[in-house]
Amino acid sequence: MSRYLVKRIGRGFVTVLISVTLTFLILRLMPGNPADVMADPHMTQELRESILKDFGLDKPLAVQYLLYLKQLATGNLGISFRSLQPISRIVMERLPWTLMLTGSAFLITIMLGIPLGVISAVRRGSLVDRTINAFAVFGNSVFIPWLAITMLYFFGYKWNLFPIGGAKEIDVGGWEMVASVVEHLVLPVATLVLTQLAQYVLFLRTSMLDVLQEDFIRTARSKGLTGKVVIYKHALKNAFLPTITMMGLQLGYLVGGAVLTETVYAYPGLGRLIYDSVLQLDYPVLQGAFILLATTVITANIVIDLFYGLLDPRIRYE
Amino acid sequence: MANNFPAPIPHDWHPSGTADLRATAVSPPVSQWSKNWRQFRRNPLAMFGLVILLSFIVVAILAPAITSFPRGYGQPDELVNPPTGKHWFGTDDLGLDLFAEVVWGSRVTMYVGILATGLALGIGVPIGLAGAFYKGRIDAILTGLTDIFLSLPVLPLMILMAAVMGSTLFNVAIVIGIFSWPQIARVVRGVTLATVEQPFVEAAVAMGSSNAHILWRHLLPNAVPTLVVNAFLTISRAVLSEAGLSFLGLGDPLQWSWGRILQNAQRNGAFVTAWWWAFFPSLAIFLLVISVTFVGTALNEIVNPRLKRR
Repeated sequence: MSRYLVKRIGRGFVTVLISVTLTFLILRLMPGNPADVMADPHMTQELRESILKDFGLDKPLAVQYLLYLKQLATGNLGISFRSLQPISRIVMERLPWTLMLTGSAFLITIMLGIPLGVISAVRRGSLVDRTINAFAVFGNSVFIPWLAITMLYFFGYKWNLFPIGGAKEIDVGGWEMVASVVEHLVLPVATLVLTQLAQYVLFLRTSMLDVLQEDFIRTARSKGLTGKVVIYKHALKNAFLPTITMMGLQLGYLVGGAVLTETVYAYPGLGRLIYDSVLQLDYPVLQGAFILLATTVITANIVIDLFYGLLDPRIRYE
Repeated sequence: MANNFPAPIPHDWHPSGTADLRATAVSPPVSQWSKNWRQFRRNPLAMFGLVILLSFIVVAILAPAITSFPRGYGQPDELVNPPTGKHWFGTDDLGLDLFAEVVWGSRVTMYVGILATGLALGIGVPIGLAGAFYKGRIDAILTGLTDIFLSLPVLPLMILMAAVMGSTLFNVAIVIGIFSWPQIARVVRGVTLATVEQPFVEAAVAMGSSNAHILWRHLLPNAVPTLVVNAFLTISRAVLSEAGLSFLGLGDPLQWSWGRILQNAQRNGAFVTAWWWAFFPSLAIFLLVISVTFVGTALNEIVNPRLKRR
């Protein structure tokens, strides 16, 4: 297990390095003066020069790259063109909201996806199965902003059940604030869950159907175990392992969905920050937001893989 | 000294057994095609998808004949009007016809979907083939790279790149294509790993065929059915990515795309006042994506009959 752990963390580190290198290369794609990517021409001369010095933007590319890595290692992501604030501070203020949104969506998707996947596999071909499948196809093909706008229209505007945007009321405290935060979270989370659920259900269904054909299931049944025990203790345990791998791969899409969802609901996370920064062509913020999101996804993936290692005896006892 | 070696066997030479195997993989006899087509036709969802998909293609091609490109301002008394006989999908805040915008938007979607998928195939296929064929360290590196790209949050990365490169239709397609190859590489590698073990590949190696020849003439043709299926899935993802980027303001401001129409609706807070504004472009995205998915799924069942039982 500990070798698995070390290997996994090592790979996570390489992945972070690759994403950081990618952003460095992408920013150098910009036509014109490379310095304009990190320092806005409208900044004061002083500020501009200090950024140019930090990131060595007048030096050769290799030196720029090393300086860039050095700045990132110390948490310096540059200065926002618009607000002139350090980007590390801006993105760290937004991160908790995005984490709360994607985290709750992730957990709820798992809690709904597992039973739905099991039911549709066990009752293959039934009305329940076909309904679940139809919903899954819908969730897979729907354009997230449309779903968000539609939910906002009905649940927020027409029936007035939930607030139509933002993350909380401004002047509330204590339990009222918690309630307000939850209330604002419902629609964005529901949007993300509806679009993510399809993958989970369809994947677990296929994986369950594979496992249910295995010999050990027949053995378990012929031992006289009840259907429930066979399905949940024998089949699901095995079908769940590949599903965990799929969850890790889905995280990137979840984050992409969060960017679109936050935009529609004016939710103050990193996604909405990205949307606002696109309008201003605030490149350092876009870069910082991506690096932070990528690092978060990579970390979450490591945690998921550790969880996998704990569940899979082949790795646990290695 | 090299002159003393026997002349190499020509690359197009095959012992009859190998040639037969290859023939079934590259160009199935006509009866196979008609059998597949019959199976496809029997699937109502697949036929529904095919009809919708073909209609979109026709609309995209004939757009200039159907309606003129919406530009400038419409009639001042027709701002944000609901659907009427004159404007089937209603009008936007400039009084422009939303039907015309959606029709022209289908061109953008097709263009980006096809160009991005072509690029994804161009990058993903060689990487997948090479990984499966060369094995060992090369495979480890390529597979590792593929897995890393699969796990990254791709949309924020596309946003960054599109913002830096500037919003033209071509750039948007390139950005989407560049980050859509990992799924292709993965499935190509999967199929090819099985093909590499086939005796005819061993025969080709024994005959002294060059690696390039084996990759191109033996391994690639066997991956084609899987590639076709995955090209459809890639197109549907590319359509959603394009809509997403345009919705976030990274589309080409000179072209009507479905995402851009939605962005206009969103900026104007139209979801409370003008349902039609967001509804029709969204419906177009949904119908196109779902029809491509249905066709792709049906093809997948033909390629992998094992799936049918599910």
